[in-house]
Amino acid sequence: MENALLVGLSRLVALERQFDVVANNIANLNTTGFKSSSSIFQEFLGSGAQENAFAPNDAGVRFVLDRASLLDLRQGPVQQTGNPLDIAIDGDAFIAVQTAAGERYTRSGALKINSAGVIVTADGTPVAGDNGPITLQAADRNISISTDGRISVVEGATGSVDTQRGKLKLVSFAQPQQLTSEGANLFAAPAGVTPQAAGANVRVIQGATEGSNVNGVLEMSRMIEINRTYSMIAGLLQTQNDLHNTSIDKLAEVPS
Amino acid sequence: MNALQTAATGMAAQDLHVQVISNNIANMATTGYKRQRAEFSDLLYEHLRRIGTQSSDQGNILPVGIDLGSGVKPVGTPRIMTQGSLSQTGNAFDLAITGEGFFKILMPDGTFSYTRDGSFQMDGTGRLVTAQGYVVQPGITVPPNSTAFTVNAQGQVSVMPVGSTTPTVLGQLTVTRFINQAGLLSIGDNLLQETPASGTPQDGLPATNGAGNIQQASLEQSNVDSVTEISDLIAAQRAYEMNSKVITAADQMLSAVAALQR
Repeated sequence: MENALLVGLSRLVALERQFDVVANNIANLNTTGFKSSSSIFQEFLGSGAQENAFAPNDAGVRFVLDRASLLDLRQGPVQQTGNPLDIAIDGDAFIAVQTAAGERYTRSGALKINSAGVIVTADGTPVAGDNGPITLQAADRNISISTDGRISVVEGATGSVDTQRGKLKLVSFAQPQQLTSEGANLFAAPAGVTPQAAGANVRVIQGATEGSNVNGVLEMSRMIEINRTYSMIAGLLQTQNDLHNTSIDKLAEVPS
Repeated sequence: MNALQTAATGMAAQDLHVQVISNNIANMATTGYKRQRAEFSDLLYEHLRRIGTQSSDQGNILPVGIDLGSGVKPVGTPRIMTQGSLSQTGNAFDLAITGEGFFKILMPDGTFSYTRDGSFQMDGTGRLVTAQGYVVQPGITVPPNSTAFTVNAQGQVSVMPVGSTTPTVLGQLTVTRFINQAGLLSIGDNLLQETPASGTPQDGLPATNGAGNIQQASLEQSNVDSVTEISDLIAAQRAYEMNSKVITAADQMLSAVAALQR
């Protein structure tokens, strides 16, 4: 009897989750290398809540269930910063970093040097090179990062160019959708998703970072849509509630 | 509803962003100032349906899951250590470094700090000091009645004593480099201090081992680019507004729920 209420409730819960996703996108409008998410819903058939034994079947009770939040891996805007350690990646690749928990992947190329000369991300995680972390020497200057991620410097002592400082490990995935967001701009690869060396069409752009790919207008309109739908469903529940109240009142009236 | 908190982290982050931008703009004309940049990262995710878990006994694997993010956090405001443009001042005590490195300054408490601001002065005893009166290291004392204070590109300081025709070398300025310049701590007065993140200071001669040259009678301008700052400011303000709209919407949704109970 309460199906209308429960269906409405399932929609409200799904909308709240969707709204959380939208809110997270908007909160990360200016986060370097952030990839926006969207929600996918599916119909969920309430089995047993209908009777099909008679000629006109009951209408099925269909709840709504949020099935997934889908990563939108489109390229974000490339913003020039002029900082030699800022890199943006043009193409479907990620920068591999070496966290304590294993290899993670990021699109945020605001790199730093730590006190030991190792190239790290903004929160101090070493960036993975093809042969372990990339370490610069104290007197190195004029850091230059080639489009395939090779790091070369002018050595302070000799003034000669050293191209062997290391190469950024750029990886791509056959199924990038399956990456899990871990926070701190990092993605983790679940079991079965293996990184491959990035293809030749991937370019590293030095002196720029990739902005967030959140589309503010889209998220705002999505938010309005959620807001309105939510109010509408809430109104529906209200109507249903009123209906109950009325029926209880009417049925309880004892005819004189 | 998480969205309320999520949007609140967004507003707090953009608030900090505007603060950093406003400090950059306020220091547009500060000698040797290096612009800061606010950097953000996303917060933890709640994995409601975890990617890669089995959806059936046949070993089917969920290809996508539900990851609900919880907002944004600022991770750092590193200084962008690009070269600022040089402006000619004509003042012999104005020095600028072209390239990497910092002037080393002796603080009143005996520690050292570092600066790119080379607008030095001479104090009552003839020592080369900063605008705050702190002594530039290694100490240079200009004898009275000398003229033609000269600093060459390699940092050698010389003057012409009165009545002499050959210059006297007074000393040698050093330039200090750090492996991680962005790891220096700003203490105001255009001064920076060594931290565990910056690495140890390496004093060296100008124009050697990767250190920059010294340019006399010039000052390094701040490297703040007004166009970048203003466009960042617009982006930050819009992001702030959008986050506030999320809070409004969340509020409306909650009030719709509250209205259910009459």
